Amino acid sequence: MTDAPRTMSRRQLIRHSAWFGAAVGLAVAGGEVISHVAGTAEAKQGLARPTLRFAQVSDSHIGFSGKANPDVAGSFSQAIGQINNLGYAPDFVIHTGDLTHLATPDQFDQVKQMMTGLRTPHVFTVPGEHDSVDDAGQKYRGVFGAGTRGDGWYSFDITGVHVIALVNTLNLKKLGHLGVEQLEFIAKDVAALSDDTPIIVFSHIPLFAMYPDWGWGTDDATQALSYLRRFSSVTCLNGHVHQVFSKTEGNVTFYSGTTTAYPLPHPGDGPAPKPVTLPAGRLHDALGIREVSYIRGQNALALKERTLQ
Amino acid sequence: MPGGHQRARELLWTVVLAVVMLTGCSSPPSPTSPSVTFGSGATKPGMPGMSGMPPMPDVPAGTTAATTGSAAPVAGNAVSIDNFVFVPATLTVAAGSTVTWTNRDEEPHTVAANDGSFHSPGMGSQATYSHTFPTAGKFDYVCSIHPFMHATVVVTQ
Amino acid sequence: MTFAEAITRIGIAAGMAVSGISHAYLYMHGYQHIPTIGAAFMLQASVSFAVAVLILIGGPEWLQWAAAMVAGGALIAFVLSRTVGLFGFSERGWQPSPHAAVSVVAELLTVGLWAACLVGRRRAAARA
Repeated sequence: MTDAPRTMSRRQLIRHSAWFGAAVGLAVAGGEVISHVAGTAEAKQGLARPTLRFAQVSDSHIGFSGKANPDVAGSFSQAIGQINNLGYAPDFVIHTGDLTHLATPDQFDQVKQMMTGLRTPHVFTVPGEHDSVDDAGQKYRGVFGAGTRGDGWYSFDITGVHVIALVNTLNLKKLGHLGVEQLEFIAKDVAALSDDTPIIVFSHIPLFAMYPDWGWGTDDATQALSYLRRFSSVTCLNGHVHQVFSKTEGNVTFYSGTTTAYPLPHPGDGPAPKPVTLPAGRLHDALGIREVSYIRGQNALALKERTLQ
Repeated sequence: MPGGHQRARELLWTVVLAVVMLTGCSSPPSPTSPSVTFGSGATKPGMPGMSGMPPMPDVPAGTTAATTGSAAPVAGNAVSIDNFVFVPATLTVAAGSTVTWTNRDEEPHTVAANDGSFHSPGMGSQATYSHTFPTAGKFDYVCSIHPFMHATVVVTQ
Repeated sequence: MTFAEAITRIGIAAGMAVSGISHAYLYMHGYQHIPTIGAAFMLQASVSFAVAVLILIGGPEWLQWAAAMVAGGALIAFVLSRTVGLFGFSERGWQPSPHAAVSVVAELLTVGLWAACLVGRRRAAARA
């Protein structure tokens, strides 16, 4: 083909436009085909009804009062209302920590009372470092620790999915920390499970190195994850960082969830992870909840992030 | 050659139209709620949610667990917490001295020794915490809420 | 059309098709659920297929430039996802294997052929 002359004749313009239109039309059609096939592939796994549906909420920091969010109780209440209006009752709701800001008895009372308003059969929690500020988590366990072991870890099975809730916010040196006793628990807990059992892990601090300079990582997570290497579906959900982030490492996918209280900076965006005050009216875009669903046979969980309405 | 291009374009449009017509969007079937079973265990962890009633009494925000500070102590034995940093990073005092930390941040912090010899309560903004060091030694500590914050107190004879 | 031009056409179309297939496959097998990245994968796949088809049946040269742009963009996105992260998403190494490597090779081929064509054109023009 020869180079186009400097000025284009009308015929050439029409010609090029036709090709451009063809490209757009084909791309749209192709996109339709792809998403259609992807949709039927999902539905093919014995109907598109999810095997398990739950909601994650995190970092409510009840008791915080600052410019970044003068009414954290209000925004948490809104998040609860949003979960109650998803159009279905989640099989459970998990709060991934920092329920309170300063671990006072009043704050624990308030957050527990608010969460009884969630329309779901089960509400699970893991503590954040704010929940164990001065007593290594004693008050937290008094309120939320029934049925848990050690510092507050536990596991359960639901519709064939094995869920492990970990505490990595005590005895911190620089990063999150699980500890020998908890690691032993994890190893024993999964020993009898078959490789195709889907595993979901909840923790407050990320179990992957999201930003170690700010403590956004867990120093002995590698060992914990080594016990999960043989499973085909492992998903870790955490809070702590007040922003949505995801990363895949080998067979494990990590999803950090956002907060209902106040945003924190992106990794490295400033000297420290302090509350960020957004321009008026922009706060709710940074807050939110997360819907998660699992369909048997699919290794990847389906996540939907919802900003606060 | 113009003829070839013309034919190619016609063929193309036919293909595009055919593909577009063949692809419809199918709506997914509406899901029904699955049954929930738990594994064995004496006490069940977690708490029940609510079935039915709409939530939310209006509860005021909790109080902060801050202790207000007194006047600034002798300059040599003071550590301030500023912008998530302990200042100074290394403080040298004589055995028997009392060190006072002051939190100048809005966020709460704590002072927690790595060897467990001291652990402050949660310190709110402007709160202070004091600890006396009877013996010599090197005491590394962190903030237990933000453990990337670390510093040392060196106690001399 | 010269032999070189024909080879370039076929090569670029093939590269785009392979890259599109890789992204479409990954989309259908889990990537559709990842925020922003999922949609981007579908966009990449559909545009790649469209451009590959049109180049193959004799479309104008700017389509090959478009192909090179899309392939180059995919390569940049790949590098970003392994380093600083892209829209809050990151992966390690060559995961998901082998699709990641296959796609990268196809995109490199596309960009390489387009660049070679450009260089060849410049040299021919300089000689004339």
